[in-house]
Amino acid sequence: MLTVADLPRRELAARLAGPGLVLRTGPFANRIRSDIPQLLDGIALLYADYPVDAPGGFADFHLSLHRAGGLRRFFRPQVCFSHEGVAPFKPLPLAQAYPMFEWVMNWCVTHRAHSWLIIHAAVLERHGRAIILPAPPGSGKSTLCAALVTRGWRLLSDEMTLVRLDDGVVLPLPRPVSLKNESIGIIRAYAPDAVFSAPVENTNKGTIAHLKAPLASIARAGEAARPAFIVFPRYEAGAPVTLAPMGRARAFMGVAENAFNYQVLGMRGFTALGRLIEATAAFEFRYSKLEEAVQLFERLARDGA
Amino acid sequence: MWRVVPGQSLAFREWDGEAVLYNDLSGNTHLLDGGAVDVLLALRAGPLDAATLAAHLADRFDADGEALPAAIEAMLTDLARLDLVESLPC
Repeated sequence: MLTVADLPRRELAARLAGPGLVLRTGPFANRIRSDIPQLLDGIALLYADYPVDAPGGFADFHLSLHRAGGLRRFFRPQVCFSHEGVAPFKPLPLAQAYPMFEWVMNWCVTHRAHSWLIIHAAVLERHGRAIILPAPPGSGKSTLCAALVTRGWRLLSDEMTLVRLDDGVVLPLPRPVSLKNESIGIIRAYAPDAVFSAPVENTNKGTIAHLKAPLASIARAGEAARPAFIVFPRYEAGAPVTLAPMGRARAFMGVAENAFNYQVLGMRGFTALGRLIEATAAFEFRYSKLEEAVQLFERLARDGA
Repeated sequence: MWRVVPGQSLAFREWDGEAVLYNDLSGNTHLLDGGAVDVLLALRAGPLDAATLAAHLADRFDADGEALPAAIEAMLTDLARLDLVESLPC
């Protein structure tokens, strides 16, 4: 199986600039075209271990990120994104090309992949038990996810939990973990050997850096996981670690609020989410110290609820 | 008299006295008390008024016999706001 790391840099650049790099992420094939050096660097670093298909192969998503034309090219250069010829995002400063690429990859899934219930949630697995962490931004979800990943948890996704409608299993979509602002320094200190993209400042989410997904998680991207727990995390400065059981009906509503396509799926979404809630135990979780959180999650995955 | 709004299939899941119910007309999902689900299911067979519902469901609610019809009437008004039930002209 060919990976990005197997392609000489010149070949990687030629595919991006020409017919497109067909990159496999979980169940999806993404054809990526770009002439932006920052993006080439980011893909070469963070997607080194991902499978690559032949340039002419089938792709689910067609992404194109290019420098804006005209005077902008020289004065405040920008990056533009288009998907199958449509440009759903405003151009961004060129320096933000890599974070934009990750957002675009997310956008393609949330707007196009309706064979799954897609929850805005991190999902990780250990000891055969998958834990879903649904949460709005600011809850500390990605920081917690990054910490667990650096302690041997399998990353299925830090952003989108894909629940298959037919049987309720979670399909992995392991991609780089997006960290914001002070979380970047916290995880760097917590896991000094972790690989990060260069931080990009002044995005609309502040400073962004991406943590490379572990090789073992990428290698198991075809292996679905059984959800065991749904944990709604909340970071609270100074709070002791607590895990409080949550009623199933309230957990259902909490997940529905954090799902991208629950409404779109209608009754199929209701049925799939009902089955997910039935198959899992739900908790509200508060934490302030990462190490305490990681220890509690280890016990939960090892011993069950 | 009250009835279930035509087109509502009343798909629901109930756990520990709380339920989630799918609204076929709006596509929304509602978090309901288990008692509200009992009322909806009692209406599924055909229209009833609050007093008859109270008699049917007396053993499912904590409220005493005299207060129950008014409590059920209030619940029906709430369910009507969600387009789950509607009142029929007598």
